[in-house]
Amino acid sequence: MTHPLATLARELAAHSVRYLLIGVSGANLYAPAGQAVFITKDFDLFLPPDPDTLVHAWTASERAALELWIGDEPLETPRDRWLAERVIAQRALVRATGASDFQVDLTWVMAGFAFEAVWQERREFMIEGVPVPAARLLHIVESKRAAGRPKDHLFLATHKDALEQLLRKPDHS
Amino acid sequence: MADELERADRLFEEAQAFARTYRFEMTDEYRALIERVEAMPQNQPGADKSGPWRGSAADHRAFVDASSGPRRM
Repeated sequence: MTHPLATLARELAAHSVRYLLIGVSGANLYAPAGQAVFITKDFDLFLPPDPDTLVHAWTASERAALELWIGDEPLETPRDRWLAERVIAQRALVRATGASDFQVDLTWVMAGFAFEAVWQERREFMIEGVPVPAARLLHIVESKRAAGRPKDHLFLATHKDALEQLLRKPDHS
Repeated sequence: MADELERADRLFEEAQAFARTYRFEMTDEYRALIERVEAMPQNQPGADKSGPWRGSAADHRAFVDASSGPRRM
């Protein structure tokens, strides 16, 4: 069964959308196979604050059979540059949802970082044959520190221990 | 079952209280740890992450299933 993120990533690539996987789901990518991962219910995609990119991201999401939401309402149509400019100006979060509770947040905010700086040092991994660009683990952790929400504190409190355990494993020392 | 739910609720509340007061400091040790993990062969550009990804998705489904179960009021 294809993971819905692989399907979305394929469409984003087809539409030349620059994005970065960030947040807990991004940090999980650095865990090796079989290693415990942090539970998160969504995937955070960091986008540059560019209306054209956003329109292409919306199109890619639709082609991946995802529904787009802004708050509790479906994102209005037409999903064009005019709407994208307003969404960016309001720094509104657009969420893409699909089957099996698949949930992706399209965001322009990565606390403490601008998109281009993170993009320059991105790491591209492969998921089911599809390239998925992710932020550096260091940037993800630094951003969690900068965001400082309770859920970020919980992540940071346990993440260092998880890395130490990972490096203690004989296969990874 | 009720005891387990009570225990889960208590742990959740403790975690919330901890999160409200925890203050994280980025240390050189933590930074070095992260750099070591980033430098691992399996974390180099182009590495296939399909394996751990499936594990994560399965964990997510288990979490969703557990969250949607009956909850004691």
